[in-house]
Amino acid sequence: MGKYIKDRKPQDDSWTPYTGLEEIDNLPAGDIYIPFEEWQANKEQLLKRNHRLGVILENTDDVNEISADLERLDLIVLQFPKMADGRAFSQARLLRERLGYTGEIRATGDVLQDQVFYMQRCGFNAFEMRDDQDLATTLAAFDEMTVTYQPAADEELPIWRR
Amino acid sequence: MYQYSQADHQLLQERVSQFRDQVQRRLSGDLSEDEFKQQRLRNGLYLQLHAYMLRVAVPYGLLSSNQMRTLAHIARKYDRGYGHFSTRQNIQYNWPKLEDVPQILEDLAEVEMHAIQTSGNCIRNTTSDPLAGVARDEIEDPRPYCELIRQWSTFHPEFNFLPRKFKIAVSGATHDRAAVAVHDIGVRLVKNVKGELGLEIYVGGGLGRTPMIGKLIRKFLPPHDMLTYLEAILRVYNRLGRRDNLYKARIKILVHETGEEKFRELVEEEWEQIKENGLRLSDTDINNIKSHFKDPSYETLSDFDSDFDAQLLADPEFAQWADKNIELHKQDGYRVVYLSLKSRNQPSGDVTADQMDAIADLADKYSLGAIRTTHRQNLVLSDVKLTDLHSLWLDLKALDLATPNYNHLTDLISCPGMDYCSLATARSIPIAQALTKRFDSYDYINDLGDISLNISGCINACGHHHVANIGILGVNKKGIEVYQLTLGGSAREDASIGKIIGPAFTADEIVDAVSQVLDVYLENREDPDETFLTTYRRIGQDPFKEKLYG
Amino acid sequence: MALQVYTASLLKEGLVAYLCLDSEGISWTTDLNKATAAEDSDIDTLREAAERSDRDNIVVGIYPVLVEKTASGFEPVENREKIRANGPTIILPQSSKASTNLHAA
Repeated sequence: MGKYIKDRKPQDDSWTPYTGLEEIDNLPAGDIYIPFEEWQANKEQLLKRNHRLGVILENTDDVNEISADLERLDLIVLQFPKMADGRAFSQARLLRERLGYTGEIRATGDVLQDQVFYMQRCGFNAFEMRDDQDLATTLAAFDEMTVTYQPAADEELPIWRR
Repeated sequence: MYQYSQADHQLLQERVSQFRDQVQRRLSGDLSEDEFKQQRLRNGLYLQLHAYMLRVAVPYGLLSSNQMRTLAHIARKYDRGYGHFSTRQNIQYNWPKLEDVPQILEDLAEVEMHAIQTSGNCIRNTTSDPLAGVARDEIEDPRPYCELIRQWSTFHPEFNFLPRKFKIAVSGATHDRAAVAVHDIGVRLVKNVKGELGLEIYVGGGLGRTPMIGKLIRKFLPPHDMLTYLEAILRVYNRLGRRDNLYKARIKILVHETGEEKFRELVEEEWEQIKENGLRLSDTDINNIKSHFKDPSYETLSDFDSDFDAQLLADPEFAQWADKNIELHKQDGYRVVYLSLKSRNQPSGDVTADQMDAIADLADKYSLGAIRTTHRQNLVLSDVKLTDLHSLWLDLKALDLATPNYNHLTDLISCPGMDYCSLATARSIPIAQALTKRFDSYDYINDLGDISLNISGCINACGHHHVANIGILGVNKKGIEVYQLTLGGSAREDASIGKIIGPAFTADEIVDAVSQVLDVYLENREDPDETFLTTYRRIGQDPFKEKLYG
Repeated sequence: MALQVYTASLLKEGLVAYLCLDSEGISWTTDLNKATAAEDSDIDTLREAAERSDRDNIVVGIYPVLVEKTASGFEPVENREKIRANGPTIILPQSSKASTNLHAA
């Protein structure tokens, strides 16, 4: 917690993670995000809350399985357990481009300055930066590269069609 | 050749600045070695046995003479006066300093070159037929498709952290000179009976510790669908490829474990969802890219030249070279010339800065300024007039680039091995040189005919030993370098993986062992036209085993 | 008793280097014969010094190498380490206008 960037600005993070270990009827107040399995198990009860809800997916989860719930979710958290594990890039693109999700997609885990450019292109708009990352240089890294060749979540056409 | 746009130039500039910053952050300690490694690898920078190694991309093997001069300049200014052309048509420098690399990249950018994605778990430089656009057996020029793949794959945001490296090769001729069967994706351009162009898509080929031939998962894909289809394959791989075991992370293992049929279904299912998106190629898209690869203005010439014929008769050495290192050209009066980087004096694929400069001059003088690199670690001058061959040969001979051995025994592929490589378990180059020295007779290799001999210094198989007619794999056995022989591999349209023949040989024994294998072939071939591979496939391993171990 | 030295690659240059530890402190040399060798029991001192250089971003990839003392100096036991210490075992291609970027060793 702490180094949180949303829509290219450092912000205070209003969300609290719910690990699944807490009692379901004794949850913290405010916006919470929930592991996908907990969400599936306790959906009805969770929806009774007067706060926003999010879900955190494993990077092995199939995003199609959450497609029916997307309207009720204001946040989807995708994970980079190691910087070299790029599965969440595909999850983000599918959420944005195929399922049309417009809420917050947040990267968590090994979220580093040198990857935010790729992440934003895939549809991430929020980043829990790893503690050792410098916010100022990370913000600059979004614009390090301005040329993009291929379509992605940020651009429908390849460079040869623009 | 593809002409860079303003955007292409800008991208290189931005990449140079980005890498300069990453190097600075590493030197100041802001980036740990583990994290910097991920970044430097994506820019072709390894830390090898003795020094850093920089791999510069040669997109689908095409070089201009000016680019070659810059490669010479880099070898001289930042390295030790030479470079190494690799089996993926790139060039590697063995001694750059980390501090110098940003400046090297800046020098490269001036001539539209870079080291982007020449390493790391991302989509690598696309390779192709070194005779693209000039081959007589060409069905369709693969270069425009390679260029489209280059653009699509460069800094692809979704596929820059794949389970493992990813190599694509494209071939557009009857004969496969790009080894498409042993790539993660191999694309072959074909035509149906109506004369329409389609793509055969092979997936899951590769060498390394689990060599496999690619599976044909799409028989006749319309060219307009190439990029959406590749995107579908890559997405399936990025989501489902194994990440728990480095040695099982290549797409070949996913295809194998999933099953070819199921894998095809997964790809087709994904492709159905994206096949109409912005990546679908229109006729205009394809034609625009094709316009970069128009034929140069060839002269109208006869395909016969009496002076050339006279030179062949007068000069037997020239005739030998012409017989081995020249190929017909689609344009009458022109020939394709192979520059052998397999002399007895330098390691396979190595070229000095002086040679590079001279090759650039020869390309300007004789070949419309164009040079190609081949996956067998040679160079090609693609557009030489028949009438110029003799003068070109004299120049090449003076440069030690005219060994008459193309596709013959001493045209051997060798990885750098333990003389340079931090992964290697045995040396390759000294064995390659011992073989070259032993079989240094034109008459002998001429008699053997078409044959391939490849050597790798470890199981990662960068020397492509699995797909050589005769393959050698160096391994470390209790501190001693020993060499295993495999027989019967092929990297061409009849691709196959060679089989290990028996227990390994020591460095002192391996040259004799190869000699015995050749003896068995010569004793058993039905006639001088029966190649080693055909004989081997006909008689099997036993006669070879008998001779080697009997 | 096995004699060992500590080796790594110099971060800036990438060249093979060996640890020297003396009264003047820690330094790295590309010449194996100038390295500080230690018996098994004293190797921890070298390892700690090498780890410090790694943390200080002087070198990359530290590890100990078994060496033997010969008449001409230290010689690594393993083949791979012999090649690292002495350079490629082949004649390198030579350009007439050779570079000045020569191996310090």
